[in-house]
Amino acid sequence: MNSRPLSLKTAAAGWLLFVVAVTVLALRQGPSFDSSIMSLLPESTQQPLVQRAADLMAERFSKRLILLLSGVEELRLRGAVTRLSGSLAALPDVSRVIWRLEESEVEQYRTELYSYRYAVIDEGIRALLLAGDFQQVQQRALFQLYSPLSVGGGSIVEDPFGLFTELTLNRRSEFNVQVSDSLLKVSGTEQPTYMLMVELAADPFSPALQKRVLGAVEAEQAVLTDVGIKVDMSGMLLHAAAGAQQASGEISTIGLGSLLGIVVVMWLTFRQLSSLLLMLVPVVVGSITAAAITLLVFERVHLVTFAFGAGLVGVSIDYALHYLCEHRRSSSDGILVKIMPGLLLGLFSSVMAYAALALAPFPGLRQMATFSVVGLSAAWLTVVLWLPLLARGGPQQPLALAAHLDRLRAGFPFAEGNPLLVGGLLVSLLFSVYTLWSSKSLDDIRLLQTSPVDLLKQEQSVQRALGVSSSSQFFLIRGDSLEQCLQREERLTARLEGLKAAGMLEGYQALSQVLPSLRRQAENSALVQQLYEQQLPPYLAMLNVSDHLLSDAYLSLARTEGRRLTPEIWLQQRGSDSWKDLIVEQSEWSAATLVRLTGTIGPETRQHLIALSDSDSAAVYIDQVQNISELMGSYRGQIVNWVVVAYLCVMLVLGVRYKKQIWRILLPPLLASVVTLALLVTLEQGVNLFHLMALILVLGIGLDMGIFLMETRQAPYTWLAVSLSSYTSLLAFGLLALSDTPVLHHFGLTVLIGLTLVWLLTPIMRNKTKEKTLHG
Amino acid sequence: MIRRLFSLILMLLLPLSACAGFTYDQLEKVTVSPAHLDGHFTQEKYLSALDASLVSTGVFSYQRGRSIRWETLEPIKNELLMTPESIINRQGGQELLQLETASNPVVKVLSEIFFAVLTADWAKLSGYFDLSGTLEGSQWTAELVPTDSAVRQVVTRVELKGDSLLREVVLHENGGNRTAIRFDSLSR
Repeated sequence: MNSRPLSLKTAAAGWLLFVVAVTVLALRQGPSFDSSIMSLLPESTQQPLVQRAADLMAERFSKRLILLLSGVEELRLRGAVTRLSGSLAALPDVSRVIWRLEESEVEQYRTELYSYRYAVIDEGIRALLLAGDFQQVQQRALFQLYSPLSVGGGSIVEDPFGLFTELTLNRRSEFNVQVSDSLLKVSGTEQPTYMLMVELAADPFSPALQKRVLGAVEAEQAVLTDVGIKVDMSGMLLHAAAGAQQASGEISTIGLGSLLGIVVVMWLTFRQLSSLLLMLVPVVVGSITAAAITLLVFERVHLVTFAFGAGLVGVSIDYALHYLCEHRRSSSDGILVKIMPGLLLGLFSSVMAYAALALAPFPGLRQMATFSVVGLSAAWLTVVLWLPLLARGGPQQPLALAAHLDRLRAGFPFAEGNPLLVGGLLVSLLFSVYTLWSSKSLDDIRLLQTSPVDLLKQEQSVQRALGVSSSSQFFLIRGDSLEQCLQREERLTARLEGLKAAGMLEGYQALSQVLPSLRRQAENSALVQQLYEQQLPPYLAMLNVSDHLLSDAYLSLARTEGRRLTPEIWLQQRGSDSWKDLIVEQSEWSAATLVRLTGTIGPETRQHLIALSDSDSAAVYIDQVQNISELMGSYRGQIVNWVVVAYLCVMLVLGVRYKKQIWRILLPPLLASVVTLALLVTLEQGVNLFHLMALILVLGIGLDMGIFLMETRQAPYTWLAVSLSSYTSLLAFGLLALSDTPVLHHFGLTVLIGLTLVWLLTPIMRNKTKEKTLHG
Repeated sequence: MIRRLFSLILMLLLPLSACAGFTYDQLEKVTVSPAHLDGHFTQEKYLSALDASLVSTGVFSYQRGRSIRWETLEPIKNELLMTPESIINRQGGQELLQLETASNPVVKVLSEIFFAVLTADWAKLSGYFDLSGTLEGSQWTAELVPTDSAVRQVVTRVELKGDSLLREVVLHENGGNRTAIRFDSLSR
């Protein structure tokens, strides 16, 4: 008998050491939170290349912060742009700030392409040449020559037809921006407006980065507002920061609220500080260990994981409650032996349910599963290893609240031998099933948009001013080499041009627009040679040009006609900077590029794009938003399957112990789940993945409730314990239903309805004959 | 004696009026900026590579702040319609090509300057150029040197001559080319 407490002490010390070590390690790594819905979703179902392409698209958006400064006084504005860019560039989180363009750079962009003017030509000119309309090209050159606005002013010898001028004139810049005295000025705005573009060095979801970057902007903003300068911003960083702020604000309010509620009720129940502290110890250890290990396993912890985890407080407090309630009746030595089967089964059923989530190829669910399994196990271990040492002494006074609750329960009807009640339950079940049958689901990821309205408005106004409209849709082009990709792009863009001409597509960005395939460059070069042969002599004759100039022009053509802009050369050029990220992959054997679509894409255009993709095996149309929404739907279905499998396992184990009585444990949570779903469908117009994930929690707590009650033969103390744990979970989640973050709201409402129903249904299913009374 | 003194004063005054910083404000006062103007132009474009000038003539008309129609009649027929947003090239009423100025910074700057020069929008020009010049009575000559780097890419110097209206413009381009435009038979 002596060795047991000793080994218990060793185990308790070991456990303490482990908790401290894990916490220290996690703290050293530093907390990092994530609030993006996207990061909850699976990657593995998509081909790695598609995923990489999607990541590239996302990164372009996520690592960019655009600021527009507008005001009345030009000079002040320019000063503000300079100052703001200075303070932003000084931050370690900023890899570069694009806010000015030196004249030498403008010149450089031009000259680096000049040598390739016969191979890389304007699309409009190419169309004319292809149509054999050489006459018109000559006409255009002539007009250009006589125009008072002789832009570019190319040499009559090196570029008599102004091919290079046409090319540079028609190359659109990405934004509606002009260079004004080296600064980037937005054109066509009411007030003078300047642009700054910040490229972040790291992930915009890092709270530290958000704080520093937005802090620097806000510090300037305070001064600028006083002098009438307005700052508008657009970028993932803002959404990430707003999302994190909103969610963490809500979670901390709700967490604090639930903690307060729990403390108050526990105090009212036990009226003893030591009991209160003893109860909180496992919960705190569970939460800390779960957070620490999740942080260590996953790089970032998602806020939804924390929300889900916050609910675990309610589950993990169960173990301590049972221990302490039992402690009221037995001496400390005997408690563990007595409640161990119930505790083990409770842990087993919950861990099974949560572990099943980890099997799904779903990063978000894995994180939640890890958090839950670790948290519950840690709380459980703390109860088993520490509480016997911490809560010593003999049995204590019975609790008044247990008697109150017991009397309340006595008022509940029995389902057994009560056809009216059974009938009523059956009718509500059938009605619920009918409702679910005719319901539709809400899998559209856009419904989960959490950004504040004014942020979205600001984003839209920035996009409008800059003339950009981002879209998450793109084509992925695959080939054996970059050259092949470019050729395939050219085939695709010809068809996209058709859609554009029909007004169905706003635009697109393709690498082949700035870097034509070598095959196309050779074609262009041949066309230009034809143009020279046919049109150069009459053209120059019209201008009274001497013969030696004519031969000079031919010489210039012969010298540079063979030059090709190869990908290698292009990649070295400065002009490639903003286009490089269209290359998804480039290796010796394979290459992939993406063609980005811009503007909003309607359903009709979508059909055309899908048809395009179907007819061209090398070009795949990818709509990330749609894909993710579809994935949400498919995982909604899969989660149901996983939960069913997990509960079949739990049922098997429970069946061994409880035999025919198992319905008393299983029916309340199952019935509650079905009715909850039906209510949710009615209240929220449909259910999604996140409702279902919350339902898992309801099932877990419901099963625990049934197991504990069964184990103690419906003892009043157990009823008190499970009621308290339901109450704590309801506090934690009932408040979440008020959240503005859709995911948290879905979660909260589900648990609120579900747990209330479980708590009401469980006593109804209790055993009529074996009921124990408090003093019996 | 009095005559000599008078001429002395005159001699002292003359260079003074020429030196005393010729300002955009002064130009603003002597010139008018009619809401509508049309007239005839002669354009002489000197191309350094050819060491020759291409001369063209035609008519133009403008609506202040809205559009400039620039119609070349000789030796080729061509019509340019410039608005702050775009430059449209037309021939025989048919649109040949259209350039959105917003999409191209160089075109944008250039058309803005052209607009400002033709419509005597001195406030706009002061944002791009340093001004020097002389004013004698109602006759003035001005020289604009770009302060803006983007403008310097295209234009190195602009010479202007006029009275209440602009009579002559010479745009010196980067690379030695220059465009001289003279206006006559102006009517509002």
